[in-house]
Amino acid sequence: MNITLANIMPQPLASIQHGSESIWGNNVELKSGNRIMLNASSGKGKSTFTTTIFGLRRDYSGELLYDGQDISKLTPSDWTEIRKSKISVVFQDLQLFPKLSVRENLLLKNRLTDTYTETELKAFLEKLEIDNKWEQQCGLLSMGQQQRVAIIRAMAQPYAWLIMDEPFSHLDVENANRCLEIIHQRTIEQEAGFVLTSLGSDHGYSFDQELKL
Amino acid sequence: MLRKLLFRNQDRKQLIIAVIGAFMGITFLITSIHYLIRVSEFGEGEEILGPNTIIVQKEVSNSSVLNITRTDFSKSEIEKIKSEPFILDVKPVVANNFAVSFQTDDELVPYFRSDVFIQTVDEEFLDIKTTNWGWKEGDTLVPIIMPRDFLVMLNTFMSAKGIPQVSDDLAMDINFKFTLESKDKSKKEWVNAKIVGFTNAVAAILVPETFMTYGNDKFSDGSEQKITQIMISGKESEFGLVEELLEKRGLESKDSQMVIGRLKSMIGTLFLVVLGISVIAVFVSGLVLIQYLQLLMSKNAYEVRTLLRIGYHPNDIIRKFFIYFIRIFGVVAGLGLLMFFTFKYFLDDMFESGGLYIETGITIGSIGSLVLAYLLFILASYLTAKKGIFKEY
Repeated sequence: MNITLANIMPQPLASIQHGSESIWGNNVELKSGNRIMLNASSGKGKSTFTTTIFGLRRDYSGELLYDGQDISKLTPSDWTEIRKSKISVVFQDLQLFPKLSVRENLLLKNRLTDTYTETELKAFLEKLEIDNKWEQQCGLLSMGQQQRVAIIRAMAQPYAWLIMDEPFSHLDVENANRCLEIIHQRTIEQEAGFVLTSLGSDHGYSFDQELKL
Repeated sequence: MLRKLLFRNQDRKQLIIAVIGAFMGITFLITSIHYLIRVSEFGEGEEILGPNTIIVQKEVSNSSVLNITRTDFSKSEIEKIKSEPFILDVKPVVANNFAVSFQTDDELVPYFRSDVFIQTVDEEFLDIKTTNWGWKEGDTLVPIIMPRDFLVMLNTFMSAKGIPQVSDDLAMDINFKFTLESKDKSKKEWVNAKIVGFTNAVAAILVPETFMTYGNDKFSDGSEQKITQIMISGKESEFGLVEELLEKRGLESKDSQMVIGRLKSMIGTLFLVVLGISVIAVFVSGLVLIQYLQLLMSKNAYEVRTLLRIGYHPNDIIRKFFIYFIRIFGVVAGLGLLMFFTFKYFLDDMFESGGLYIETGITIGSIGSLVLAYLLFILASYLTAKKGIFKEY
């Protein structure tokens, strides 16, 4: 699935001067299967990019297209299908259910598409060294542990694009690399693409494309 | 899991208060509607005159005996009574203006003959099939409605003669005969008669209007026909106003008719008040439940928003809230129905002990009201849930 940003300008960022390389106010194409890094300092609109591309914000000018289709025309059923099996997101604020356990958080997402078995989900946790948190309430985990749960939850569905908004901000290098390895593998398996927003670090990964804000 | 997530943030106290309110409202709603229907039906079918109908005449006083005041009704008096808002209709009771005698004409019944007084009332006031109630010139048989007192008298006569007494049904099979005669005895005619019903409300034999017109045209001496009795049909539950009118205008009716009307009016009003309170209770508790639903959704706004973001369809979440609340109201309706049956068991017994023999079957209206209240609540819950979920979309 190709995503096209045709002169997109979010209203809160309209008053700021954007360069010719910025995705804001220019035509940008996110080609299917590309692994993209969106590098920008704070306040430039990385989260705005994530929420706009995911259809959560509608306060922008220009057109946003999925495979040529204007997303403003999509129905609630279309969005459900897209969020269930086309685009997955790791939000900056993670958006986990703090009162539910890790297990419940993962299963609540996984049961929509039955992507993994419980054993497979546990195996992911093990790789990221949080398998002992399976029955623990998410709200009681550290931010780094929660980030890892959110990453696994985002992968527990089929997707064409995985959008990650500063997903490693609370992770040490070792854990960030482990996560990136899992994400890479899963994305390659599905011939999907991903966008990773970052404050500057490329985490030693070789991206196909770099976007600027 | 979804249920655990969405219904964890609950203030049970508010829910319990709303459920108790709805339960009481539903119980009294069904009970009051049921007894309103049953009480309004009371007495129907037993009397040939329609419901809430009475025959009235002017009270006879000393001055009327001395011809100072009139005992008959003028057209304007009838119109005035008719114009009252609680009166449905007023029609004169027409009497015979010629000599009539009534006799048995059946081999199985001993000969009995008496001069009688016949009357006719508008067909609209009679609770009788119109196919049984008609007569035209040339017909050899005239249908009649007999005062029940007359049957008692006939049975007394039969008993005195050593003949078995007759029931209502048997009396309807006996052949009778009218003799119509002009006052100067120059014209005379016989017409067969058959009883088609009985009444407690009228003291005279009732005949079809066409028969009365025929008799009055053919056998009357031409003197003016006076209307001394009228039939009044009052609105349901407003019988007190009819009584007030009668008193104000110096009119009187048979006590039995008044008592039933008064009783029905009183009980009907009582249940109407209970019904009003129940409707308010159901409405208010329904509102509290709906408000509780709104509160629950606003407390779970984050959860709802996140579920939508991870791929849950708005309808899946609407359904969760909707089903939860229709189950709650289902339990309330079930308990209300159960309580109604308990009340009914005791109330039916109380009414029977008090001499008010009302039907004991379940009324469709009471069950209908429960279904209607349930459907309205389902609709309100669905719309509220839909609005709340799409707000987070």
